[in-house]
Amino acid sequence: MAFHSRRAMAVFWKDSLDLRKNRALLWTMLVLPAVLVLVPTGIIYGYAHDPHDPSLRTMALFYDPTLPAGASAARYLIDKTLTDWFGLYLIMPVFVPIFISSQSVAGEKERRTIEPLLASPVTAAEILAGKSLASLVPATVVSLAAFAALCALVDWVAWRYVGDLLLPNRMWLFGVLVIAPLFAFFGNGVAVLVSARVADAKLAQQLSGLVTLPLVGLAGGQLAGLLRAGTLYYAVEGGIVLLLDILLVVASIRLFDRERLISRWV
Amino acid sequence: MSSIEVAGLSKRFADRTAVEGLTFNVDRGEVFGLLGPNGAGKTTTVRMLTGLLSPTEGEATVSGISIRTGGEMLRRRVGLLTENPGLYDRLTGRENLLFFIKLNELDARLAWARASNLLRRFGLEGREDDPCGSYSKGMRQKLAIIRTIIHQPEIIFLDEPTSGLDPEAARTVRDAVAELAKDGSTIVLCSHNLAEVEQLCGRVAVIRGRLIEVSTLQAMRKAEMVLEVRLASDPSGFEPIVKALPFAPAVELVDSKLRVKLRHEEQAADVISALVLAGARIHSAARAERPLEHVYLELMRREDAS
Repeated sequence: MAFHSRRAMAVFWKDSLDLRKNRALLWTMLVLPAVLVLVPTGIIYGYAHDPHDPSLRTMALFYDPTLPAGASAARYLIDKTLTDWFGLYLIMPVFVPIFISSQSVAGEKERRTIEPLLASPVTAAEILAGKSLASLVPATVVSLAAFAALCALVDWVAWRYVGDLLLPNRMWLFGVLVIAPLFAFFGNGVAVLVSARVADAKLAQQLSGLVTLPLVGLAGGQLAGLLRAGTLYYAVEGGIVLLLDILLVVASIRLFDRERLISRWV
Repeated sequence: MSSIEVAGLSKRFADRTAVEGLTFNVDRGEVFGLLGPNGAGKTTTVRMLTGLLSPTEGEATVSGISIRTGGEMLRRRVGLLTENPGLYDRLTGRENLLFFIKLNELDARLAWARASNLLRRFGLEGREDDPCGSYSKGMRQKLAIIRTIIHQPEIIFLDEPTSGLDPEAARTVRDAVAELAKDGSTIVLCSHNLAEVEQLCGRVAVIRGRLIEVSTLQAMRKAEMVLEVRLASDPSGFEPIVKALPFAPAVELVDSKLRVKLRHEEQAADVISALVLAGARIHSAARAERPLEHVYLELMRREDAS
């Protein structure tokens, strides 16, 4: 069975068009990036606004008791915030595809559009590719736009104190360009698989959303001082997610079967 | 020549048998009805014939292609109108059609010219740039019909095309189907709407999990020999005369007509002779055709009894 990229692109075209016309979903989808950009900006503004606040040193020593006496606690906390925040930022490339894929895959069942689609010459692999692309492209665009906004806002609020650009730095660039797409792929794969098994889009979203909990747990561990984040730490996370991505691709091809979809979905 | 050949087709899901041992043929250019109550397996049969489900047992060819191995080639040759139109509500009528033009990898310009003709023919011209969510039920179903035939399929499957429509919308859809039939398309119509089947189909298969009967509508209606005699005078006086004939036929009076149940056609001459000899003036005498509803209900009763 040959793979026709034109048909996969047709599915991508239709899903992208449908997403652009779904204002409610678009606005809901933008809430998370806004939070993930504004919260660290606020925190860094707090540190940069009053860098000589004595309580900052207490906080910095909680995370690193070996911090030299002459070192700036505010700068240490700003750097630590930016490093740790990437762990939470990764929720965005996971969650945005979950949002879109749950709607586009399980939503086909809810709207009862899956049967005419499956009765057309398009193959299951082409549907899978088109729908994944329609969720990964906006997820990547949103993640990059949020990163650009984060860079601009953080540099703006910290400039007076730091006198230099904090972002983009090497860790964030590596994370946004390499790790985040792997996480986006993971979120999309989970949503497609869950959507193929459950009855409606909301349930698919809720169940798929559970995969973000480990990320929240890891970020919690970082804030509690139990885990020390950095480029290597995120590279290891990325490696694990890459393995999961491969498993998801194999499982998706096996489970995104026409008969299974039609007998389960309609 | 047969467009569809079905031999011993069965489909079992994990805990139930949807259809078992279906065997029938559909000729090229025929409008064939699949008749049966809800849950009879009509939709499952159509899904197997359009390559959406694979059969558990048996084989079928559609346009010469095996439904087991036909896959994409089979789906290119058939058009399926599902019970629910399955349109993308946020997309316009044009975008819905363009999507299926792309999926079928048609020449966009030629296919859109064809779509425009169909939109005009089905009275949707001027509404193609409105979101489908704003369409009435009849308009949605008509757009779904255009989507079904946009790639000029050899065989069109219509699954309950007027289900849930108001009488006016149902009529426009039936007219659209009749137009397709006039074009010479092979059409398989699934329905439990007997009037619709009667109006559109030449031959029907009655199914309820298995095949109960497959025949022309005319043969089904005439399956039982009933002679209907209209007299110039009150027919009640002639009832005992007919009943007294040696083969003692069952007689009933319906709308001032004598309905005489015969065992074979030759007995009709004896009935007419007896009436004439008794002085009856006969206006007309013809073999009665039972309404499809009677035939269908009797088949269902017989099926229940067995």
